[in-house]
Amino acid sequence: MYLNRYPFSKHYKKLYIAVISILGLGLFILENSFYAQPLEDWVLIYMLSGAILLLNHFLVYLPPKDNTFSMDSAIYLACIFLYGLDLTLDVLFLNNLIYALYKNKIVWWKHLFNFSMYSLMIISSYYSFIVFGGEIGGVNTHNIFSHLISLIVYLTLNITLMSLFFIFSSPGTLFNVFKGVLKIGILKESFVSYSVTLLLSLVLTILMTEEKYFGLFLFTILVVLISFAFSKFLYLYQDVSEKANKDYLTGLYNHGFFKNVLDEQFSKWSKLKEPFCVALLDLDDFKKYNDSNGHLQGDELLKFFGEFLKTEMESEKYVLARYGGEEFAAFMKNTTKDEAYVVLDRLRKKVNDTYFAGVENLPYRCLSFSCGIAEYEKGTYDAGELIHKADKALYYAKAQGKNNVQVYDEKNVCFDAMQFKEELDAIEQQLKIFLSKDVYTYRHSKRVFKYAIEFSEKLQLGEHEKQTLILGALVHDIGKLEVPRDIINKEGKLEPHEWEIIKKHVTWGKEILAADKRFEELIPLVELHHERYDGKGYPYGLKGEEIPKLARILCIIDSFDAMTTERPYQRTKTFEEAIEELRRCAGKQFDPTFVEPFIDMIKTNNLKRQRLFAN
Amino acid sequence: MVYDGIILSLLIGFFRGGSLKGLAYMKLKWGWLFPLLLGIEICIFLLQNKLSVIASLSNYLFIAIYIVGLAFLWLNRHNQGFMIIFIGVLLNFIVMALNGGRMPVSIEASQFLGLEYIDALKAGTYGKHMAIDNSTLLPFLGDIIPLSAPYPKEQVISIGDVVMNVGAFIFIQHLMLDYKNDKSSLQTVNEGR
Repeated sequence: MYLNRYPFSKHYKKLYIAVISILGLGLFILENSFYAQPLEDWVLIYMLSGAILLLNHFLVYLPPKDNTFSMDSAIYLACIFLYGLDLTLDVLFLNNLIYALYKNKIVWWKHLFNFSMYSLMIISSYYSFIVFGGEIGGVNTHNIFSHLISLIVYLTLNITLMSLFFIFSSPGTLFNVFKGVLKIGILKESFVSYSVTLLLSLVLTILMTEEKYFGLFLFTILVVLISFAFSKFLYLYQDVSEKANKDYLTGLYNHGFFKNVLDEQFSKWSKLKEPFCVALLDLDDFKKYNDSNGHLQGDELLKFFGEFLKTEMESEKYVLARYGGEEFAAFMKNTTKDEAYVVLDRLRKKVNDTYFAGVENLPYRCLSFSCGIAEYEKGTYDAGELIHKADKALYYAKAQGKNNVQVYDEKNVCFDAMQFKEELDAIEQQLKIFLSKDVYTYRHSKRVFKYAIEFSEKLQLGEHEKQTLILGALVHDIGKLEVPRDIINKEGKLEPHEWEIIKKHVTWGKEILAADKRFEELIPLVELHHERYDGKGYPYGLKGEEIPKLARILCIIDSFDAMTTERPYQRTKTFEEAIEELRRCAGKQFDPTFVEPFIDMIKTNNLKRQRLFAN
Repeated sequence: MVYDGIILSLLIGFFRGGSLKGLAYMKLKWGWLFPLLLGIEICIFLLQNKLSVIASLSNYLFIAIYIVGLAFLWLNRHNQGFMIIFIGVLLNFIVMALNGGRMPVSIEASQFLGLEYIDALKAGTYGKHMAIDNSTLLPFLGDIIPLSAPYPKEQVISIGDVVMNVGAFIFIQHLMLDYKNDKSSLQTVNEGR
């Protein structure tokens, strides 16, 4: 598929425009004799041009999207049927001249291209009308076929020329672009509106045969009124959809709409290939503000900040939304993460300098926000992942002492040493309850924690994974707090119902952790560390790679320690026996890829310890 | 024709809920020029049959008035619609200037205006107008558009007249309706916060 890979450059677009323009202009000059019109025809030309200008001004809007269609083609076609080619081309020329003067901001070649396209369409539909036996001067119902042919020629040529323009002007491979054009659905959308236009041309022809000027006048007025009516509908529709998509308090878009925009962008990205960012902004210490100033004033602050965002980031490129409580989101089209950083940091400084009543009580003594930015990268799976990344960056910004902007980066999302210590302490606090209830579990957790530190070093996990594994190891049996003492410390075999209770500790552990947002990432480790590689574990019976990597690792460590420590209900295994057991169960209970490295680690560390002991 | 257009614009303006108060906000440079030109024109009209000097010069005087009028419109082109009025007047001016200061009129189009009128036209004694013949330059810019029933007043106009009226219509609509928006934007929206 050589064509597939063939890139289109700007030259093709220029070439295409030049070819069409020369062709259209050449044929126009060849066919048209501008001066030869009798005076009476000039009145008609003025009238028709005026009507077309009016119709182009009062477009018919079609909700839901901003689709419009103009009835000018109906007039051109009626003109061909009634008066032939010369007059139609005069009307086209005059009309385009006025339009070019009126819209002189549009680049000249677009006017030229448009003019050429119409003259090609008009000339070919005229000749197809003549070839198929059509007679100038009205609608001949006995030869309706010729009318239809010329309408179809007009329509096909228009669609072809426009599609080609889109194909040549968009970057990418030919194949992709073809798919894109079909997806955009130029054909589908324009078909209905074209049919209306074309049929109306016949109506206008009949009207004008009967009453030349008055017919045209009636038609124009009718279409203008329809345009009014439709724009009322569009307005109504937009009004209602605005209400559905906007947050009442701040006037920004709401959560649902923002997600929609993001999903849409994701599906479009393969065509557009522009960078885009998502930024999450969170007002700092909003709770404190609410506490000291009351919720009503808090609402005022939200309203104010929404307004502030709207005025400061007023651009086509941005979609602003209130994401939740005091959290705001910005979708930034065609923006790289560095550009986004510059924009948002400037915004942050500006908001610091903006006074709002009641901010004196805040720690910073000014209005401030923390912000996380994530840019779309090739591997990003879906919109949710991008938001999650931005959220991580936002948390990092909060951890950095608030009032700053952070770009998502693998490295800076993991906790810094201080924060890691804090979380560790928090978990230790919870674990201490075991000291009185079940000292075995307490010690077991501590040992698994130590193994996890050593093992994560050995496996060379990423910084973030390392920290997650270590914290997870420490907290993994927290759910056993809920298991009654007599079951936990029972000597001898457990009854089946007691075993069921023990098995529930993973779920209880998950619930305990879910209460604290900081530990969200540890949940899979706690909940899934009793899953087995062969799918016979609990609580879900996940199999192989379905189990998260860290949970598979934790399972090995946990089991090894359980085998080698003294428990009231089982005989203790020596390290050698436990290693043997691990090997035996590799591929059944354990993920074989991690078993050998773990055994390796145990052996070296054990040897070290024995050597120390010998000394 | 000019007056018809203005009356129609005012009617539509009232119909859309506009008011004449907007006229107070009208800002025109050299505004006094307009009544002056009108005065001169009326004087020429009245005097050209009495003083032969003025009669012989009347064509040139009209051209001069047109030029001053065009300059006035150009100076005020920032007003909405004035640029269109300017183009309309310019179109009329071009065809008149090229045809010796007189507006060419289509005989066919003015059939319904009466035989006397046509005779006067052909004789070349009717005011600023003359009949279109083969020597007329740019005849399609002349008075060739017949207005007849259902239009209440029968007359023949040029495309320049039409364009001029469109401009006047836009200007008057703007004056009657949009001044409200200008005024309200002075109020602070967020007052009392």
